[in-house]
Amino acid sequence: MIQLQDVTKKFGSFTAVDKLTLTIPKGEFFGFLGPNGAGKTTTIKMIVGLYAPSSGSILVNGFDIVKQPMEAKQSMAYVPDIPFLYEKLTGREFLYFIGGLFKIQKSLLHDRVAELIDHFEIGLWVDKRTEDYSQGMKQRITIAAALLHHPQTIIIDEPMIGLDPRSAKIVRDTLHKQSQNGTSILMSTHSLPVAEELCDRIGIINNGKLVFCDTREQLQLDKAGHDGKFESVFLDVTKQS
Amino acid sequence: MFFHIFHYKILSFLKTAFDKRAVSIVRGVGSSLVFCGFAYGAYIFAFSSTRFMLEHTRTGLYLYHTFISMLLFVLFVAVNLGNIIVSYSTLYRSSEVGFLLTKPVSFTTIFIMKFFDNFFYSSTTLFVIAFMALLGYGSYFGYSWYFFAGVMLFVLIPFMFLSACLAVLILMAIMKLAGKIGFRKVMTGLFALYFFFIFLFFNSSNPVSLVEKVNRYYPHVDEYLSHAAPGYLQYLPTQWVAQFFFYVAHQEVMKALPFAALLLVVTGAAFALLLFVAHRFYYRSWLVSLEVQSAAQKIYDPSHRHVLDFRSRSVLPPQVEVFVKKEFFAFIRESSQWIHLVVMIILTGLFAISVSNINLNLHVMDVQMLTYLVMYVFGGFMVSSLALRFVFPMIGLEGQPFWALRSSPIKESKIFLIKFIIGFVLVVPIAEYIAVASNIPFISGSELHSTLLWFGIFNAFWISLTMVSFNLGLGGFFANYLERNPIRAASTQGATLTFLATLLYLLIVVVILLFPVSEYFEALFRFKIFHLRTLLIAGLCISVISSLLSILGLMVGFRSIRRDF
Repeated sequence: MIQLQDVTKKFGSFTAVDKLTLTIPKGEFFGFLGPNGAGKTTTIKMIVGLYAPSSGSILVNGFDIVKQPMEAKQSMAYVPDIPFLYEKLTGREFLYFIGGLFKIQKSLLHDRVAELIDHFEIGLWVDKRTEDYSQGMKQRITIAAALLHHPQTIIIDEPMIGLDPRSAKIVRDTLHKQSQNGTSILMSTHSLPVAEELCDRIGIINNGKLVFCDTREQLQLDKAGHDGKFESVFLDVTKQS
Repeated sequence: MFFHIFHYKILSFLKTAFDKRAVSIVRGVGSSLVFCGFAYGAYIFAFSSTRFMLEHTRTGLYLYHTFISMLLFVLFVAVNLGNIIVSYSTLYRSSEVGFLLTKPVSFTTIFIMKFFDNFFYSSTTLFVIAFMALLGYGSYFGYSWYFFAGVMLFVLIPFMFLSACLAVLILMAIMKLAGKIGFRKVMTGLFALYFFFIFLFFNSSNPVSLVEKVNRYYPHVDEYLSHAAPGYLQYLPTQWVAQFFFYVAHQEVMKALPFAALLLVVTGAAFALLLFVAHRFYYRSWLVSLEVQSAAQKIYDPSHRHVLDFRSRSVLPPQVEVFVKKEFFAFIRESSQWIHLVVMIILTGLFAISVSNINLNLHVMDVQMLTYLVMYVFGGFMVSSLALRFVFPMIGLEGQPFWALRSSPIKESKIFLIKFIIGFVLVVPIAEYIAVASNIPFISGSELHSTLLWFGIFNAFWISLTMVSFNLGLGGFFANYLERNPIRAASTQGATLTFLATLLYLLIVVVILLFPVSEYFEALFRFKIFHLRTLLIAGLCISVISSLLSILGLMVGFRSIRRDF
């Protein structure tokens, strides 16, 4: 569960996120959309503790990310938009590294790593250094690392970038299954079809403010009010604000 | 085309250098003030040491310029090694080169641009220090302004430029050989050869034997040593520059000018050769570098499990265990890291062995005290360089993957503490080794021997603590997470400022040491009573100052790693 209350982030005189209030309940798959520079990644970075909010509060599974960062981080997983990995480690070592940071017992970790290597079909190159990986390979390792500790909440920024169709399907199916099993997911994406396919609810942010937030069912009505395309709804709400 | 690209590079530089944000202005002004302070310090140091050597110790012009020749050799090697290492990144691994190669720009143009980029980037600080040292040296002799401008433009810059040209020629030769026999073999062979030549140089113009000769012939040093230099030295550019200064100091300008002319001609020829080789070979060597990189790809055998394997059990808590292992593999799998460490350990070993073998058979208090302090400063300088090269970049080298740590349930304080311990464990044994070795020549045969030795060991601990704390802290403050090259990370403006700050700290330590050390040598040679409390008070002052600076450095660093990422 994620709760944002009047969250603001300022960089000098520029307000990147402006009094954002949003609640994502347990098990909901929330799509976070918006034009470039709208404040999506800034919001995500505040939720995962990479940015400190200028004001407002953020609770992740009941823990305040500023006051109880360890508890909040232990309960969630983050997949960044660009999957930077430690270049000198192999994919397998990276998975064990993340497992150690989340204090997973070695015996459990061996099984979990083996399971995820199998699930994401990465066995052929998981023992190469990550500096030799393509973008898609890095993305798969990052997503596998995020799932190691069975997080209650997943924050994922642009998950489909660089993935081949088969890998993209594996990731979509995995996220969908996680959501069905009660994991809250906040997914930022520019892909409107992916958001429509996967998300229970979609929010659109523009100039740091949430300008649209509706369920998938409500979205169908909104689309009908335009020309039947989600793209037109998106262009309309981001243009008006 | 060259000027078109150059124009945009200048624009980009100016936008970065003259950032109008308040924080940047404050940082820029602060940096400039500190930099000016140190430049002035270099001037004062050069002026005072010239006066001290020529008037107080009556070293004589010839011997003094022999020392200058050795310092120039160190400068030449520093520029040369620095350019070889940094050029590999700028010429062969730069994304800018990859971008320009897809555009209609000739390979030679790209090469020239990157070469100058590299030369000015890696040598700016050395230019400033060299110029200020020149000012200090020249002011002693009362030279006019055109001497300084002329020498800088026509002697010192060409001297450093020659070193850079040779560096890049060596690098291209390495790439050519690497394409044929493999990168690892070439590097091993080359480093062995390089250090063999450096060893030969110092073996034949050994500063240790020079110091011993000084002791033997003091105070009529100049006349005995004026013809002692080995013959091959006349073929080295360091000697041309030293001879130039020597003849100018002797007011024999006409004898000096041929040395400057020779240097200019050789530098011009080296640059012409470099352009010729680059025109013929740069693009091919760039392709070779791609092959070398792909050949280095390796699949680790998952069935092979070693003691440091992430899968192996450990007695350490899981977060500490994986973090330490990550640091270890990041270090050991980056060749520029471990090779540089091995080189620095070898140099430290050579220094320690050399100084511990000095036979100080001259019982002149001032000379012994000066030698002690010079060795002390040099030892401190080595520790400072070690900390700058390996501790300063530690936080910045986390790089873009730092998100993985910052979004994980590990406290920033734990990350910082582990990095501090790793840095301290690396630096403190080397510092203690240097301290013990550089005290050996002064303690033999003395009843006070253990006092000075333990005092040195005590100080080495505090100096190491301060160097590590300061470099780690300011390394965090100036961290550039986009810079992946550890050598470049350790040669940024922030790194330079940190280095200068640690040198200032060393100066303070030496000033504190002056009184007790002079008391010690007076007790040794003039049989005065030595009061142990003078050492205790000095030790207390050093420990208090070091503690305060360490806390300051650690606080700055800890705050900086909690910044928005």
